[in-house]
Amino acid sequence: MSAGTEDVVGRRGGGDGDVVIAASGLRVGYRKLREKVELVVLEDIDLEIRRGEFIAIVGPSGCGKTTFINVVAGLVEPWAGTMEIDGRPVDGPGPDRAMVFQDYALMPWRTVEANVAFGLEFQRNGPPAAEAKQRVDRYIEMVGLKGFEASFPHELSGGMKQRVGIARALVCEPEILLADEPFGAVDAMTREGMQAELERIIATTGQTVVMITHSIDEAITLADRIVVISHRPGRIREVLDVDIERPRADQDVKADPEYVRLREHIWGMLKAEAFGASDLQEVEA
Amino acid sequence: MTAPVDSPVKTVEKRPSSPERAFSYGPMAYLRRYGAVGLVAVNLTVFFILWELFANAEIVNPLFLPAPSAMFAEMFQELGPEGLLRVNIPISARTFAVGMGAAALIGIPVGLLMGASKVVDSLISPYVWAMASLPRVALMPLLILILGFTQTARLTLVFLSAVFPIVINCMAGVKTVDTSLVRAGQVFGANKAQLYRRVIFPFTLPFIIAGLQQGMTRGLVGLVIAEIFGGNNGLGYLTKRAAETFNSPLLYAVLLILVIFSLSFVQIIKWIEIKVAPWRSYGR
Repeated sequence: MSAGTEDVVGRRGGGDGDVVIAASGLRVGYRKLREKVELVVLEDIDLEIRRGEFIAIVGPSGCGKTTFINVVAGLVEPWAGTMEIDGRPVDGPGPDRAMVFQDYALMPWRTVEANVAFGLEFQRNGPPAAEAKQRVDRYIEMVGLKGFEASFPHELSGGMKQRVGIARALVCEPEILLADEPFGAVDAMTREGMQAELERIIATTGQTVVMITHSIDEAITLADRIVVISHRPGRIREVLDVDIERPRADQDVKADPEYVRLREHIWGMLKAEAFGASDLQEVEA
Repeated sequence: MTAPVDSPVKTVEKRPSSPERAFSYGPMAYLRRYGAVGLVAVNLTVFFILWELFANAEIVNPLFLPAPSAMFAEMFQELGPEGLLRVNIPISARTFAVGMGAAALIGIPVGLLMGASKVVDSLISPYVWAMASLPRVALMPLLILILGFTQTARLTLVFLSAVFPIVINCMAGVKTVDTSLVRAGQVFGANKAQLYRRVIFPFTLPFIIAGLQQGMTRGLVGLVIAEIFGGNNGLGYLTKRAAETFNSPLLYAVLLILVIFSLSFVQIIKWIEIKVAPWRSYGR
């Protein structure tokens, strides 16, 4: 909040900005009332995320990825440890963070324009109406939905819906963009296009991004660092730097030897985790 | 983005009317596209001509099936000054309107509250479900016992018939609210009141409308039953009286009017739904 973001693009990939998100000794769980059991979902999470970094979190289903992002968003309180943003403990959601959802979570009764404006409606110190409208228009154009302002979500394809979701998050001009498997529900072709789009947009807006993904390719394509989480209780297995030149999404990055190496390395780690984790899927709900 | 901005952001919620959308809903859409009014007119004319021919052949006792010409003649006469329909239609309309109005006024907030609060729900849901499963017309003798053969008794039955479908639909609406929409509201900083106003209530709107539609259908049943058993006026009473005096053209005329009433309600509700919840025409 205090530091400017104008030179963030230059830092991208280097990740030498100051720390924005700091999790230390984080322990998060859920109580299941019916079965009177406690489930520890995340354990011993220590992670520092620097300003302007693009972080991808990968891990098997049920490893607590969504829980982690919920803690950053301020929707879930940790049982132990701290989650700090800009040096202050997270206390509920705030305008410095916005989220993109896997299932889009668009209001079906609102037009594209009104859905994007939703991001600004609850901000206490939000922009005045005229400026808000301008900002809404600007981000609708940025995600390539100019001309669809008056359309309803049910009139749009999955990819277009997620563009609305991205615009709604960006319109808040948050410091931190959280993305919970943002392209998990769109088809493979659209997915690659959307990845390129997101990389391009983030390069201009300069947010710190924390993205959950199931796709190793997506993580390598987009992230500066990849956090691999093991399955329950979720612990950080490894944090990997992705040292590949940008832009990556629309180039033939998959042939890059570093890409191939990372891919095999992460896949090797996840393979063991992936099997036998399916019964834990409920935990993430 | 370069266009001058002269309207506040609030106006973005207004929906531009698009011809596509207006045509995209319900069986009426089909008709409208193919020259609705004309088709209906032709259809009904043929129907009444066939009925007239059939009735005039007197294959069926005219007491059971009067000719439509006789029915319409009776209808127009009784719609005239001092006519039975002229007198009784407003009486039934008033009973129905007051009973339905009260049912909506009480049923909607109670239903929403039951959906939103576990405490309220567990307190009153046993009674709501008990009353909802009871055929409400069975209450008419009790209402007559308490309130006599009064209009109050009749509109109470309309109220009781209509209120439970409304309550249950509103409750279901709040309970089935899409949790990811709520999560989105929370992430973007909506407080509890804002969540209800901007996320949960709009989500519930189609359920409220469905409840009103069911309530109206049930309320109409309640109205007719109440007037048949507990009244000395109203359309329900008129059916009984017409039958007792072997005036089958009048009986048929009343039934036709009830059909017209009922269909109008359904159409009005559908129209409201298209207006306030256009996304419902998709995927449900």
